Amino acid sequence: MSPTLYDYVNQFEAHQKAVAMLNEFFGTDVTGYVTFLVFLVGALIVVGVMATIGGLGTYAERKISADIQMRQGPNRVGPFGILQFLADGVKMILKEDIYPAQADRLLFNLAPMLAIVGVLATLAVVPFSSGLTLANLNVGVFFLVGISSLVGVAVFLGGYSANSKWSMLGGMRGASQIISYEVPITITTLTIVLLSGGLSFGAFVETQGGLPHQWYIFHNPFTFIGFFVFFIGMLAETNRAPFDLPEAESELVSGYHTEYTGMRFGLFALAEYIEIFVLCGVAVAAFLGGYKVPFDLGSGVIFVEKLGLPAIIGKNIGQVLQLGSFVTKTLALYYVVIWVRWTYPRIRVDQVMTICWKYLTPLALFNLVGVTVWMYLTHNQSIWELFSHLFAAAGSGGGH
Amino acid sequence: MFQDILFICSAILVIAGTLGVVFSKNLMRACTLLLGTLFGVAGLYAVLGADFLAASQLVIYAGGVIILMLFAVMLTGGSADKANKFGIEKIMGMGSVKTYVIAGLTVLVFSLTIMKLLASFLKGYQKLDELPAFTSTVDKIGTMLVTDHVLAFEISSILLLGALVGAAVIARPRRG
Amino acid sequence: MQDHVEDNGANMISLPSYLFLSFIMFIAGLVVMVARKNIIAILLGVELILNSAALNFAAYTRFINQNLEGNIMSLFIIVIAAAEAAVGLAIVIRFFQLKESVHIDDATQLQA
Repeated sequence: MSPTLYDYVNQFEAHQKAVAMLNEFFGTDVTGYVTFLVFLVGALIVVGVMATIGGLGTYAERKISADIQMRQGPNRVGPFGILQFLADGVKMILKEDIYPAQADRLLFNLAPMLAIVGVLATLAVVPFSSGLTLANLNVGVFFLVGISSLVGVAVFLGGYSANSKWSMLGGMRGASQIISYEVPITITTLTIVLLSGGLSFGAFVETQGGLPHQWYIFHNPFTFIGFFVFFIGMLAETNRAPFDLPEAESELVSGYHTEYTGMRFGLFALAEYIEIFVLCGVAVAAFLGGYKVPFDLGSGVIFVEKLGLPAIIGKNIGQVLQLGSFVTKTLALYYVVIWVRWTYPRIRVDQVMTICWKYLTPLALFNLVGVTVWMYLTHNQSIWELFSHLFAAAGSGGGH
Repeated sequence: MFQDILFICSAILVIAGTLGVVFSKNLMRACTLLLGTLFGVAGLYAVLGADFLAASQLVIYAGGVIILMLFAVMLTGGSADKANKFGIEKIMGMGSVKTYVIAGLTVLVFSLTIMKLLASFLKGYQKLDELPAFTSTVDKIGTMLVTDHVLAFEISSILLLGALVGAAVIARPRRG
Repeated sequence: MQDHVEDNGANMISLPSYLFLSFIMFIAGLVVMVARKNIIAILLGVELILNSAALNFAAYTRFINQNLEGNIMSLFIIVIAAAEAAVGLAIVIRFFQLKESVHIDDATQLQA
């Protein structure tokens, strides 16, 4: 089917030997169990790391906002206050768990779980590196778009079930905003699907290169616009400012999670911060070259040839470089998202819908048509390849 | 082995969700449980090797239809079993003894008929010795959609456009 | 993929299992459609029935002929279900604006 984490692990001799030994020891074929174990460990690592990143996201948000407003920000817990998120987490666990009197208990409990499940399930297809992709599904993008819309359902249910006016309005705004902005995001992703010729994130990244002129954002003018459409849609999809209408503090107390206390609120917050990371990762994989490292360092061949390292070590150094490349770009985008939040004022509800349906969606459709025409006319070459051909033709023409 | 487990999980999800939709008194909960059923069906598609179908099921149902339904339930007065809290007094009936009896009889007749039809069909069904391995269906479905089934494809696009415009026109509040 | 995807052994799960699930969904959808009096609940029943049909198509494609025609049919069923839900719910909302009710027995006139 599709290449997965297990395939990556399976290519090492040590792993194969270990499996053979285990087979001998238990007397039966344990390949299935080992596969399960590999996936379990991989998934646990990814979820744990992402939960930490989500927690650190809250810290980063406060620290960056403090920086922008010339304050100190949290600085008591740990060095530079970096353990603040742990303190917050402990506080949330210890808080009293309150149900509103008229709430629908089942849905009230279900909503934060749906949010966190929808976000964590998207991690299965995020391409951290060429080896560390839990499952490089051949419908990866489609899967991500579908499963992340669970968050929309969760926002709506959270707002509805709490039986409070603020929650209700926040939930309605959130759900309508999320399903509206899915349209431009999906259409923009479709342009990259056209260019890369595949629906999987592996295809997205592998058809790009390590250097910026090989990225899809600079492939042609349409994808350049497309990246910004995607980015704006992404802000709205994650309910970030300037689209944070669902939790606008000045109008609705705290939006759809007004009535939530303790860890249930924590799950909503965690889901939001992880979702930002995931969507930044998608933007990086689709437009900014993903995990590719310049000069083909990511495959690790160069370490084996030049430095004489064993193949396995070279390959793993390459993987670490790829991971670093992906995470660096993603965190840079994450910074921009937070920066935008503390810079721009919130826009009005009708403006949110106007931006989506009257500007972004037509722009995304225009991009889609534009990319198709571009691919037809230039045989899927990027603008740089066209220029280099032009110069080559001019040079040879000048020679005559 | 792995597929069996996935099948069983999906089947449990489908059956539980379906029974929930039938027996839930609260329409909001019924909608949410329907989401469980639809995810279970997506899981079944995945077990069947129809990867594209599973993903489209997730995209269209989870993202579109369920939220639409939840909105409709909310706009038309919320759940059925308690007095409404947004100023709408009327409580919608969720069925009575009479309707359930009629439904049960109908189901009996239908199920017997369908079982009969199914039995005669399954007699002729030869179990395949070995199913082919899973392959990606995306490119094949894409090719088929724009070659053999291009007319249906285009008509469905017109249908969707009509539904879009029609829904907007119908639901628009008219004053005066 | 090599050995861990193969489909040998007891072959516990085959066509009838899927047909059974699809059957349950169909019957449940029918019960909902007949028993419920709320128009939105009836639309839920319609969704269940459409899903059971789509599942049947996909299952037959997998176990009988493998030529993906069934998958295409399921795809169109999903598309039609989406269109039906959009228009159906728009009608429900309009009906509610006119009659202040979503009870199916209140829908006695063709005109508003």
